[in-house]
Formats: sequence, C-alpha cells, structure tokens
Amino acid sequence: MFTRRSMLQLLGGGAASLALRRPVWAAAKDAAPGEFFIFIHASGGWDVTLWADPRNERKGIVDPAGTDNTDIAPLTHWKSTRLDNDVDTFEILAPKNVSLRFGPGIGDLFDFRERLTVINGLAMNTVSHPDGTAFSATGRHLAGGRPPASSVDVAVANELGTDQLLPAVAVQYPSSFIGDRLDRRAVPLRVASAATIAKSLTRSDAYLAADDRTAITALLTDEAAALAEQSAYPETYLRAESQETALPKLISGDLEKAFTQKALQDAYPKFDYKAKSQGQGALSAAFALEAIKRNVVRCVGFALGGLDTHNQNYKQQAHTQQELFGVIARLVEELDRTPHPDKRSAKLADHTHILVFSDFCRTPQINLSGGRDHYPNNSALVISPKFVAGRSFGKTDVEQLLPADAGLGFSDGPRPIAPPDLLATFVSAFDIDPRKYLRDGEVVKAMLR
Amino acid sequence: MKLAVYLSFGLLAACGAAPGIAPTAPQPLPVAKTIAIDTTPKERRRMMPPEVYLRAYMVWFGGLAPLDVQARAKGKALFDAWDDYLSALGLPDYRVDLPRQMQTNTLMLATLGRLGEALCMRAAERDLHGKPPAIADRVIFAFEVVPTPSADEFRDRFDVLHRTFVGYPVALGPADRLAKFYALYQAVAARHKAAKQPLTGDETAWAAVCSALVQHPETELY
Repeated sequence: MFTRRSMLQLLGGGAASLALRRPVWAAAKDAAPGEFFIFIHASGGWDVTLWADPRNERKGIVDPAGTDNTDIAPLTHWKSTRLDNDVDTFEILAPKNVSLRFGPGIGDLFDFRERLTVINGLAMNTVSHPDGTAFSATGRHLAGGRPPASSVDVAVANELGTDQLLPAVAVQYPSSFIGDRLDRRAVPLRVASAATIAKSLTRSDAYLAADDRTAITALLTDEAAALAEQSAYPETYLRAESQETALPKLISGDLEKAFTQKALQDAYPKFDYKAKSQGQGALSAAFALEAIKRNVVRCVGFALGGLDTHNQNYKQQAHTQQELFGVIARLVEELDRTPHPDKRSAKLADHTHILVFSDFCRTPQINLSGGRDHYPNNSALVISPKFVAGRSFGKTDVEQLLPADAGLGFSDGPRPIAPPDLLATFVSAFDIDPRKYLRDGEVVKAMLR
Repeated sequence: MKLAVYLSFGLLAACGAAPGIAPTAPQPLPVAKTIAIDTTPKERRRMMPPEVYLRAYMVWFGGLAPLDVQARAKGKALFDAWDDYLSALGLPDYRVDLPRQMQTNTLMLATLGRLGEALCMRAAERDLHGKPPAIADRVIFAFEVVPTPSADEFRDRFDVLHRTFVGYPVALGPADRLAKFYALYQAVAARHKAAKQPLTGDETAWAAVCSALVQHPETELY
C-alpha cells in the first residue's frame, strides 16, 4: 500500500513541490481522517428544469420541455402528461418518502433520492462558461480571466490530503491552486484523461529492467542527499531525495497497470464506457473509485459534459443528463459495495463525499433555434453522509426561474444561496475553516447533520 | 586695423604657456581593507516550466523538432505521442479546453522521466549500436565504447555525458560522483551482459548512465 510519504514524492512535487513551503495552517486532518472526496463538474450548463427544479407548466417565461423539443425515446423516467394541444410534457417525479421533486433527467440516480441533497436557486451572477465554472469551484468570479482563489478540491486536499500519494487529481476538472500559503503537495494533477496518468507512470521493459531503475533512483537519492549537505538551501535537494526514494514504488508497482483504460473498464464493468456523452466521464469515475479504493488519493475531480445545448441539440439534454446521473448512480453503487481501505466494517460510501455542480443553468424559454441559452441560476447536488439528505435547499421564482430568497436566515438579510455559501458549508462539514479559503459565503448549518 | 593687430599680440603675450607638470609614476591605491565576497546562491534551486526541459531535451538529443522527438522515441512502449502527454506535462490541451498549468506537479516529473529515458535508449541505439556513426557525428555518446571499461576509461567517457547534461566537468563535481556512476554502470552492464535485447550490456549501461544524468538533481534544478 502506498502512503503519502511513499509517493508524493513519487515523482516529485514537481517544480513547485521541490521548492516547498511548509503549510502555514493547522491541518484539519485529525478531525476527518479517512474521508474521500469526489468533485464533479457537469460541464456546459445544465437545464435544471429537467431534474432538480422541474417545470412542466407554462408560467411566465417558462417553456417546459415537451415532446416538441425533447427526444423522449431514450428517457427511462419520462412519463407523459398533456401540455398543449398536441404536445406532451413530463410528469414530475414526486416520491413520497422524500421532499424532493425531480424531472426525468435524474435517471437512475432517482433510486438514491434518499441520499441526495439538492441546492436550487444558486445565484450565479454570470452567464459565462469560464466564469460560472470558476465561481462554482472557487466561490469567486474570474479576475483578469483567471480564478483568484483555490478551488474547493485543492482546499480540501491542502487540509486533509497532503499525506496521500496523490492529494488531488483533476481529470478535466477546473482545479486552481492559488496563493503561496498552501502546501505544494496539494498542487492538483490536472490531466485530460484518466489514462494519461497510467501512461506517464509506465516504463518500457525492452531496455532497462526494474532493478536498473531502482539502482538509478538509489544513485540519484544519494546525489540529492550529498548536494543537500553542500547547499546553502538544502530544502529543494532534500525534497528531490525523498521523491527519488519513492520513485521505484510508483513506476515498478502495479499502480500504473491498475489505471490503464482496460484495467479500469475490467474492474468496473457496470459503467457505460460507450455512452454517447459520458463515456470518457465513466472512465474518470472508474479511476476515482480505483484510486480511492487503493487509498492513494484524497480528492478526485472530473468533468461530465455535453450539456451546452443552444440549438436543436437541446433535444438530447435530458438524455445527456440521464447518462450523467447514471454515471453518478453507478459511482454510488460501487462505493456502497466497496469496503473502506482503512476502516474495518465501513464501506466507502460512508466516508466518500460527492459534490456536483455546473457552470450555470439554461434559460427557461426555448430560443428560436430550439435550444436554451445561458441563465444566471443554478442547482447543485451533494451526496454526503455529512449532509441532510432527501430534501432541497433554496428556491427559484415560479415565472422566471431566477434565484429567490432561500429563507435560510443569512446574516446579511434575505437572499438566495450562492456558490460561496455552498462551498463554505461543504468544507465546514469537515472542520475546515471556510475563511481560510473563501472570501465570501456563509455556512448553512441547516444543510449539515 | 593696426589697433586690432596690436591688441592680439598683447593678448597672446598675456596668455603665455602655463608652467609644465612633471610626469610621475603611477602609485598603487592604498589598501583600506579586504572585502569578503559572498558567492553562495541567494535563492534556492527550483524547477523550470516544462518548455525549458522539453527544449533542453530537444537540443541535447540532436536539435530535434517536437515531431522528431515523437518519431524517435516512439516504439517498444518507450513513448507514444505528444498529444497523450500535453496535460501531464502542464501544457495547454485545447482539444479539451484545458489551460496551461501554473504549477508543476509530480506527474510532470514522471512524464519527463519517461521521455528522457526513451531518448537515451534511442540515442544509444544510434550512437553506439551496430555500425555507429563517426564520433564527430554522434549526438550524445561521443566516444568509443570499451567493453568492461576500467575506472579511468569510464571517467573519460562519463565526463562527456556529464558535461552535456550537468554542464561542467565531472572533475569539478563531488569527489564520489564518479565512483557512484561507475558502480551503476558495472551493475547494469553485468545484469544485461547475457540478455538478448536491443542493446549490448555495455551499451545498455551507458544508456542507463544517460538516463540517470537526465534525471539528475543538478540537471533538473536551476
């Protein structure tokens, strides 16, 4: 089993990590040991009226999804009801055991409704993809085109993950590492595909053998140690030494073999890797599972896309959502049946926390091209034992789908929930001080158990 | 007119040549005190952006273009295509709208190690194996391979590689560096002496030395 010490290092905290600074903040790891985190970016902006904030009536500017603008054939949870003369819309899913209401896009995740926490009416104040993404992930709008704060996965990794081999892995997830007070080990490994990680760790056995590489790294370890002794600034060389020490474990073990595309698909066959929109996302989810199961990560973020439907492709929005939530449903199933790597008799689902957000939502009205454009409202989803489940927080107005007062008694008066509030609540659930990472936002205690 | 001429002569007479100053030998400046100059580096060493390493690799291994690197390193699971490693190296990947990474990380170092090893193996194949080019035409291993070299023979050849990758003669490095690399060479050569593979034992050992130098702390840190 790899430990943080055996890896981090593994290859090097990289440029930056070689010039580490010690973390300034007291870590919260003692308060939340053995917790894992999965962050999912539903990329493109989802139509919340199809899942979290369902609308099936024409009110104000709201044009509900109907058989004239939605391909309902592949939808498993679409039950038709009359909207207009010759157009049907969907029946809202209103299960009796929870207070949640869903549209048909929820797909198989509907079966896990008792474990879902939905946040509606998130005030986004933006309709720009990069800005909405950054706002959702960091709680701050872009400044000069760049996020001015670290993303939530980096914040959690910095507090709880620096002992892990891979504190934060981001597969097309909008991670940002900002500021010089963070532990450099929390720099996220941002990759385009989960398979990239396996490729980078792979070494050919046509020329050198594992023993040769062990000898090379042993030599380089000695060299780094000797240079550290002679250096006025030994920290960098000492970091290089520790990295070289761990390198053989990383590249000669079975880690890279476990992360290949084929290995992941074989290990988790229930994911639909050939799904139209989410096949690559399914691979990322499988990577997250495998990495958590092996206890080598603390946070994994990945993207599930295909939601930016401005035109006729809106017909596929509901199906894309169904695939997206299907990936999450499979993920929860696997977490349910996988034992925790450290905690006896516990399953991973008891200690894994999932946060799903999108850039923003889509307009309540259908545009002239048959699609929906960007809209400054949003919904988010949390699946976590730390959160009150089976209910939603926040709301939108009936006629315009705009964020409305959430009725949560914010200290600055009546207002909707905003992404900083959600992020502050999320990190506070693990005894992380939100003010260390978030300029704005108020903890919503009602969301927490 | 006459008045002007008289005045001119009068002025010239008044401004007679100044008395000359006799030349003297230059005197050394007085020594006030000796100032000790602190030549130690004032910043810790650090890694550089990935382009710096990629550029260095391309220059070292023959002034290659990126596509040359890909063509040369590909095969035998040594390397694939740049596209597979863009994000792992920290470069932007516009296919998936992934921006440049502003901090280097562990995966970048692993990827650079994979690339460096691939290029060393290919360089050994080109410069050492079979009918190698003249020494002047070699890219990395600009010396003749001697089977089972003595310590002195190894030193002369290792110095060529050391100057290439680390940037200064091995004689100026730590005293025991040569012995460490000689031991590595001997271990790898012995391990691969009888093995049937693309390179001979000695060639593989030189390739291993190259691979170690590419990843050496003094090579990676600036």
